[in-house]
Amino acid sequence: MASLIKAFKAVICNKSHKLILFSCLFVFISTFYSNNLFSQENSDCIECHIDPSKCDVKVRVDHVTGDVEIVSMIVDEEAYAKSAHGGEDFYCVDCHADLEDIEGEHYPNLQPVDCITFCHDDPAAEYLESKHVSLMKENGVQPPTCKHCHAGEKSKRDTPRAKDLAHRADTIEKCGGCHEEYYHSYRNNLHGQVTALGHFDTDIATCVDCHGMHTILHSTEPESTLGSQNVIETCGTCHPGANDSFVKHIAHPQYKNIVYYKSAVAAILNIRKDPDQIWSIIKSPQIILTILFIMYVGILLQTFAGFGMHSLLSWLGTILDERKGKDSKHD
Amino acid sequence: MTNNKGSLLRFGVFHRFGHFLIIISFFGLVLTGMPLVFKEYGWAHWLYEILGGYPTAGIIHRICALITFFAVFLHFAFLTFQTVVKKNAGIFWGPDSLIIQPKDLLNILGDILWFLRLGPRPKFETWIYWEKFEYLSLMWGTFVMAVTGFILWFPVQCTSILPVKVAAFVDLPSIALVAHRYEALLAAGFIFTIHFIHTHMLPENIPLDEAMFTGRVSEEHVIHERGAYYERMKGEDQLEGLRVKPAGVFGKFVSRAFGIPVLIIGLLMVSFMLSSLICSLV
Repeated sequence: MASLIKAFKAVICNKSHKLILFSCLFVFISTFYSNNLFSQENSDCIECHIDPSKCDVKVRVDHVTGDVEIVSMIVDEEAYAKSAHGGEDFYCVDCHADLEDIEGEHYPNLQPVDCITFCHDDPAAEYLESKHVSLMKENGVQPPTCKHCHAGEKSKRDTPRAKDLAHRADTIEKCGGCHEEYYHSYRNNLHGQVTALGHFDTDIATCVDCHGMHTILHSTEPESTLGSQNVIETCGTCHPGANDSFVKHIAHPQYKNIVYYKSAVAAILNIRKDPDQIWSIIKSPQIILTILFIMYVGILLQTFAGFGMHSLLSWLGTILDERKGKDSKHD
Repeated sequence: MTNNKGSLLRFGVFHRFGHFLIIISFFGLVLTGMPLVFKEYGWAHWLYEILGGYPTAGIIHRICALITFFAVFLHFAFLTFQTVVKKNAGIFWGPDSLIIQPKDLLNILGDILWFLRLGPRPKFETWIYWEKFEYLSLMWGTFVMAVTGFILWFPVQCTSILPVKVAAFVDLPSIALVAHRYEALLAAGFIFTIHFIHTHMLPENIPLDEAMFTGRVSEEHVIHERGAYYERMKGEDQLEGLRVKPAGVFGKFVSRAFGIPVLIIGLLMVSFMLSSLICSLV
């Protein structure tokens, strides 16, 4: 015990040690205050960013799509508080790190926020290794950043939580923005019909529920969520008892896709040179749906043309008969 | 028109109840199902929200499907009762049958001549040929809707019957969805236009043919509409047995208070559907 006190005294008496000790104590005490002394308060930022006279709009160029958008710099505090980063533990400067230690007005164009390095390195690594990114890079297309998909309805800063219904809704439009053909065929399927009516509950599949979120592989690859290894589990999350036959379902029917018909016509014209082309169309399960669809269009047209004509003529005939009856009464 | 001859009974309580069940379930099915087909349009969103959205609208749809199943069950129970107990083969062949008879083909030809003003309208039997078409297409349509609806209701169980190799080519849920959607358009479109025009909105019946609600038709009307049937009944001395008191004021009021709003909802639905269809083509 005595030796411990002696050592403590030695530490206290040493000047440089004293400084370290006190600064540690200071840091320790300062953490008890809710007002952190070392970083700017959110209120410092909000002070200007709720005042339209102090900050207005900014032109931003999306480096993926190249879209030029005019973004309001006004922060909706309520939306921000509800968002994934809206908790008390987050400071504006945590993400906008280049503004640390800057007081008052700041320069207009900040560095893009780096989501990955300090916080979200885990899904980011998966995402960056995914086929989605590697294929795009191969084709020389800039892959989407975190913020491209994970953006709030009003602003990118209002990042919704992953299970948030608004985020699920947004995902469909975000994926569909690039994958247009798949978007339309999804809308033609039952999942897409319900989500189109504005219901995004977690038991109706959006794009990410089937294709995965970050590790997006091509569905033909066995390791993908829809590949032979995982497809039963993926479908089974909503359809308990999903079996080998069930998972053959066509989630993207083509019978309303003009490209499908064009390729069929091209294959028929090409039948001598390359019979495999037409054979692959005939072997695909899409062909039954297409024939059924065309049949129904025919039945609908025929029925309504035929019976519509019949109703019209019945109407006319009855009216003419009534008039004739009246005339004969007058005679 | 003089109405001194009284009324004849056309539909008994059993058939009126069956028709009532079909109306209730059909409207429930159409109102909760059509928004899914016309999902891009505002009226569909509005209608879907009124009916409870997801999953309530889907539950209503399934309850109405069960009501339809019940009505179908009643109908087949009636057919069985007529054939087995009453030994009444007339429901399958003959003037009282709903199956298309050789005479109907003559009636169709006669009607075409009448359309062209080349002759008088043929005298019809118990059921006019288009009523037979409506009945038979209702039967076929209900069968298709029931089978495909059942597949969509239990997709996992239904596909598990198929071997994997077959399922890779015959995708039951997708086929069921296509058939269910377009058969629904056919059925709803047919009922809300052709059926409404042919039975309720012809100049002599407009706005409502109350026969299916009160069960009674004026004798005058039967002579005019189904001459051959009237003469046959007269010849077989069955006319007295069919004679009933005309529908009371209350009965008429109830049938109109129920029938006319339903008719209007149907016409609104078909105008929504038609305008959306035109919009999607333009």
